[in-house]
Amino acid sequence: MSVFEIQDRKYEVDEDGFLQSPEIWDRHVACDFATTEGITEVSESHWKIVQYIRDYWLQNDIAPMVRKMCKETGFKLSEIYELFPSGPAKGACKVAGLPKPTGCV
Amino acid sequence: MKSPQDVRLRDLSQRESEPLFDITRAQLRPLPDAFTAASAGREWKPLSESTACECGLDNTCALNLPKPSTWQEEDELVQRFIQGVEKLFTSENNWGFLQPLVLTMEHCTGCQTCSDSCHIFEASGRAEPYRPTFRSEILRRVYFKHVKKGGLVSRLQHGDIELNWPMIARLAELAYRCNLCRRCAQSCPIGADNALVAHELRKVFSQEMGIAPKELHERGSMLQLKVGSSTGMSPRVVRENIEFIDEDISEKTGVEVHTPWDVEGADVLLVHNAGEILAWPENPGAFALILNAAGIKWTMSSELLGYDSINYGLWYDDAQFARVALRHAEVARKLGVKRIVIGECGHAHKALGVIADRLLMGDLNIPRESSLTLLRDIVLSGCLKLDPSRNDFPVTLHDPCNLVRLMGIVQPQRDILNRIAPGFREMTPHGVNNYCCGGGSGFAIMTPNNFEDWRAQVSGRKKLEQIVNAFSDCLDDGNPKFVCAPCSNCKGQIRDLFVYHDVWKKNRIFYGGIAELIGNAMTDVKPGFIDWEWH
Repeated sequence: MSVFEIQDRKYEVDEDGFLQSPEIWDRHVACDFATTEGITEVSESHWKIVQYIRDYWLQNDIAPMVRKMCKETGFKLSEIYELFPSGPAKGACKVAGLPKPTGCV
Repeated sequence: MKSPQDVRLRDLSQRESEPLFDITRAQLRPLPDAFTAASAGREWKPLSESTACECGLDNTCALNLPKPSTWQEEDELVQRFIQGVEKLFTSENNWGFLQPLVLTMEHCTGCQTCSDSCHIFEASGRAEPYRPTFRSEILRRVYFKHVKKGGLVSRLQHGDIELNWPMIARLAELAYRCNLCRRCAQSCPIGADNALVAHELRKVFSQEMGIAPKELHERGSMLQLKVGSSTGMSPRVVRENIEFIDEDISEKTGVEVHTPWDVEGADVLLVHNAGEILAWPENPGAFALILNAAGIKWTMSSELLGYDSINYGLWYDDAQFARVALRHAEVARKLGVKRIVIGECGHAHKALGVIADRLLMGDLNIPRESSLTLLRDIVLSGCLKLDPSRNDFPVTLHDPCNLVRLMGIVQPQRDILNRIAPGFREMTPHGVNNYCCGGGSGFAIMTPNNFEDWRAQVSGRKKLEQIVNAFSDCLDDGNPKFVCAPCSNCKGQIRDLFVYHDVWKKNRIFYGGIAELIGNAMTDVKPGFIDWEWH
């Protein structure tokens, strides 16, 4: 188990840096994890995607299909990569406090 | 720390917890001149867990194995390993693999023909522990000493071994430095199978000691047995996702696409690797488009496990393998389908198509077919209107090890490409001699520590070289090129390899399955099925 430390806050993370206790997630946690993705300022666009992923996960216990996320948030995949440089699964899901996606994805 | 070429078997017993050797960039096999790798300056992440975990082999770590805290704990682990190895060599515990395993133990002459066939050994600059016979030699010595109970003469003849915990911990990691591609086994003049040895070691670690990569066990086969898919998709979510794909593909192609669910008595039960549905939805979409257009009476299943063909147990645990394979067969029996068709997933082909043959009896032994032969029959039958000029870009073909080397499915995918892809060119070597993508045996989904660096720099290196060489005439022309990889695991690895080495942005080389190329050539659908959007 690793610990991600930022200022005076500590989070338990898995070996890929994903939050271990998704239930403690809130907007402050998201901002802290955004720094690990090289995001200096969390914009409205970031929030729109993060909130979509978070809501979908709370309902379905899994991250949404990337294509579905694009269609329903109105962002092109290339725009999502611009916002979250490591991509929707490794980047956006991490900021949204989800566990790391599993299986052959 | 030793040079990778100087590590010897006895070094693995060393008690120092520091890695024995380091794979450095200078030792790696150079990439082709025409390809100046963007990754040349990319830093290999340092081992993050080296203090708490066993990272004593090389400069990566697949298992994050906790260090035992007491000598007693160490001794117990050693005893459990020895007991596990003893069980490997009994027919009641290992009837599936005993014969080839004993053959490999007793008859390897040490000629090293296999070493030259191993992409990992070659790419690493011939790091001695990655030599296919290195881990086999460890098991062989354990076998003669602890299973055959050989005395002094045996030790002189077969070599001795100091089997302590550091040796076993390093061996556990070493079992995960082999892709199980079996190219070495194919090259062996007497049929010894060093990849099988890596597989059998993984079994001892998982079945007897509870040691397995999290991605394969806890978040893999256990999750699949619990919720229905290793992706975490429940039956409800998979139906919603496929419904979305149907709508998306209908909109994109102008052809109404509908996926049939749970049709009793259907001719074909199509089972995809569920990762396709989430990460490459155009693949299941293309299948639906093609099967409907060809008039096949097919269905998907929304039963638990019926919609995810993966069976990670194949790579590390016979019991987990059997649990999943039985559920797959039961789903098909319950639906009363005529046959199961396995989507573009190599290990699922081996699991259900080959290894399950030793498990499924009576009415569970339902016929299984590869999607590649079905697609070939459809394409060659003339029932689809196909225009090859829609695929007017260079295409090369990756041969997934399980489909091609293991099962001999070599020609169907080539028959398809020869019909629909005028720019098709083989990579070198190809067919049964092709190399693994570097993601085989579960590596494509394993990311702990810096394992991704190892995968992109070492195990995937040969594949990158082959792909670059296949497109050497058009590498920098700015036009898109396509690597056809009819296997989810290979696609995942090729995607990661291309991102790591910046291949899409720099050289415009894209990747995908074979169904997408067929969909792209269908004249009844709007042009542009392949949209060249990186994902």
